[in-house]
Amino acid sequence: MALLESEDVKAYYSIRQGYIRAVDGVDLVMEKGITLGLAGESGCGKSTLVNTLMMNVKPPLYLIDGTITLDGKVISEMDRSTLKKNVWGVLVSLVPQSALNALMPTKRIIDFTRDVISHHMAVSDSEVVSMAKKRLEELNLPVEALYMYPHELSGGMKQRAVISISTLLNPKLLIVDEPTSALDVSTQKQVLKMLMDLRKAGIIESTIFVTHDIAVLRQIADWITIMYAGKVVESGSTSDILYNAKHPYTYRLINAVVTPEPEVRKRGLTSIPGEPPNLLDPPKGCRFHPRCSEVMDVCRSTEPPLLETKGSCCCCHLISSGTREA
Amino acid sequence: MLLEVRNLTKVFTTGLLKRREIVAVNNISFDVRSSEFLSLVGESGSGKTTAARMILKLLPPTSGSIMFEGKDVVSLKRLEERRWYWKQVHGIFQDPYASYSPLHQIDRILHQVFTLTGDSSSDRDSMVRGALREVGLRPEDVLGKYPHELSGGQRQRIMVARCYMLKPKLILADEPISMIDASTRASVLQLFSKLREEYKTSLIFITHDLGLAYYVSDGILIMYKGSIVEKGSPDEVMEHPHSSYTKRLREDVPLLYKKWEGF
Amino acid sequence: MLMGIFGSVVYKVDPLDIAGSPEHPPSDRFPLGTDSWGRDLLALLLTGTKSSISIGVTAALIALAVGIVIGVISGFKGGLTDSLLMMLTDVVLVLPSILIMMLIAAYLRERNPLFVSLIIGVTSWPWVARAMRSQMLSLKAREFVHMSRMAGLSDVKIILEDLLPNMASYTFMAFVLLLSGAMIAEAGLSMIGLGLTRGVSLGIILYWAQILESVRRGLWWWFVPPGACLVALAASLLLLSTALDEYFSPRLKGG
Repeated sequence: MALLESEDVKAYYSIRQGYIRAVDGVDLVMEKGITLGLAGESGCGKSTLVNTLMMNVKPPLYLIDGTITLDGKVISEMDRSTLKKNVWGVLVSLVPQSALNALMPTKRIIDFTRDVISHHMAVSDSEVVSMAKKRLEELNLPVEALYMYPHELSGGMKQRAVISISTLLNPKLLIVDEPTSALDVSTQKQVLKMLMDLRKAGIIESTIFVTHDIAVLRQIADWITIMYAGKVVESGSTSDILYNAKHPYTYRLINAVVTPEPEVRKRGLTSIPGEPPNLLDPPKGCRFHPRCSEVMDVCRSTEPPLLETKGSCCCCHLISSGTREA
Repeated sequence: MLLEVRNLTKVFTTGLLKRREIVAVNNISFDVRSSEFLSLVGESGSGKTTAARMILKLLPPTSGSIMFEGKDVVSLKRLEERRWYWKQVHGIFQDPYASYSPLHQIDRILHQVFTLTGDSSSDRDSMVRGALREVGLRPEDVLGKYPHELSGGQRQRIMVARCYMLKPKLILADEPISMIDASTRASVLQLFSKLREEYKTSLIFITHDLGLAYYVSDGILIMYKGSIVEKGSPDEVMEHPHSSYTKRLREDVPLLYKKWEGF
Repeated sequence: MLMGIFGSVVYKVDPLDIAGSPEHPPSDRFPLGTDSWGRDLLALLLTGTKSSISIGVTAALIALAVGIVIGVISGFKGGLTDSLLMMLTDVVLVLPSILIMMLIAAYLRERNPLFVSLIIGVTSWPWVARAMRSQMLSLKAREFVHMSRMAGLSDVKIILEDLLPNMASYTFMAFVLLLSGAMIAEAGLSMIGLGLTRGVSLGIILYWAQILESVRRGLWWWFVPPGACLVALAASLLLLSTALDEYFSPRLKGG
């Protein structure tokens, strides 16, 4: 049984001018025991998708359609209080994009820990402290950090503390949204190493890592899903996506990644003409068609179907029509 | 030699009674030749932006010298002298929104340069339109609009168009593409190459992204805590780094073709 | 607010006329009753409101002008100029404005509306200067100012074209707040007898009401309307400034 399944999930933001179709019909299947990288440019809907997948949906965001099943339970039908008690923190934990800034400056890390635990378990204060200490030790983090205020910790330290506290109740799925975008490369590596340690220690079995940085995913993800304009365009193993991409957007996106390697210099940098579309009124048919160099007539009118081959899937008329080898 | 920077230092002092000193730029020296792309690489707090502001004469140095084509830049005081300098040395910044006054149409950012070039008013309109076309924009799409009506990529291209109108000898670009969508970055980078091909314009490219610096430049300078810790061609810096900071940077940058150990 | 501006034009009765029997509660002839001298309170209220508003506007403009000039110069120039101007501002800020107003007011034997405005304006500019200075400092560091500088624009041009227009919304809100503060200050001065020596204003009405013990004697129509008017004016201005704040902020952030 897959860990997380979503079927035709649609989540829109309601604004004065209409609806922003941030997630517009996403079918996703995630197996247990992997790190899934969710990649795409800013505005493609990846943050909205992960929030929706754990049902963290508050106006002006609305779940318009679709079902979400997590660990066999249909969470898209649960009300907020059930979610708070049985799902959030317990089954799935989200470390949001703004986590670094969201910590209350007047509360120490241990206070933040108490808040997290008290929602779910009635345990004594000394137990909370010992749980927290044990977890920090397991991850080679200084125990003194528990008694510090957010401003006393460096960006990297704060991020690692937040992630380790979010996993205290051993959720089955950890979702981290752009955890390292604001950090310098060395600090980023420390945070990534900690995520690997969480996995090695068996504390976290499955992770979804949301980022725009594909090179980071290459290092830590087993599976990559690429989003564009509110839809999933391709999904596959890391090596499939990096070296054998099928969707025109995917391989152009990969070729726009720049790292200090001679191979990159030889390959050159590509760019895609035009710009990501406005989600208030996305293009008809395949959302990528205005920018695609291999556009066909059918792309302009019909949305491409999801085609699965050997585990990976791709949403493109080129593939489904057999014009290109899958 | 186009630009010679020698012992450039900037110290910020705060407080009236208990003075505290922050050394933002610590005694840096380097040269830039004509048609050269040089990258200034550093993380936040390394002093690279402060160094750029001093070279652009937006911030006075505490000590040191900046020579442009043999002339002392720091001592240029009169407005005409500074205008002469800014026609040859110009800047592009990171945030394509903050670079525009929100209350003015974008045309202003282009028309402003006529203070420096002094072209006759009959030529102005065609020069503006020509420059916009050079950067891949259609004049009808962007003229007369306000900054919030255009995308980040368009705004940044207009900044490059401004440089096309000046044809400066040196451009200092501070993280010019970090706030643009990944899929459109390469095309903005190409514009700098075009300027070099057509007008021999040199570029000091400031970034935190070592990969970008490696790809784009002829020479790399790595800054750390205000000092230059590494100097050399991209291959030299990546294959034979001298400083431990560079070595650490090289190890910590996520790569596409190699996997980190233990991961 | 509109009432204050247009009321006295419409209701053509000389408020100082002793027209009716003293201390009459509201009636047909006198909608708001009369005061101890038999003067028509509605007429008094309308003229008074107009007067309070005009004094408030003048005082606000004076404070705004001084505050902007000092704040802009201080923020733009920086360095020694900035330090000196800010020290001056702090000194004036710290002086108890009520006392200063009282001292000056008591010293002048004849107090016409302009003087009253001056007194209020001259003591309320410091916060405006500080606010304008901080706006200036934050704007100065924005990249678009660098772009104008590199285009070779002179300092004066930069202040006029880039900086001041981007401070316009802030200025407007400062004005609204100053106006509301000034009207209350005027009322305060008047209630202790240091307001206008001649003429009527909301504060003056309250002053008379208070002196002749209208509260104790239950002459509600004398002190309630002017008080309510004052409160309504101040409250509506504060609401206006909140609404303006909402309107301007998202617009400045990008449509």
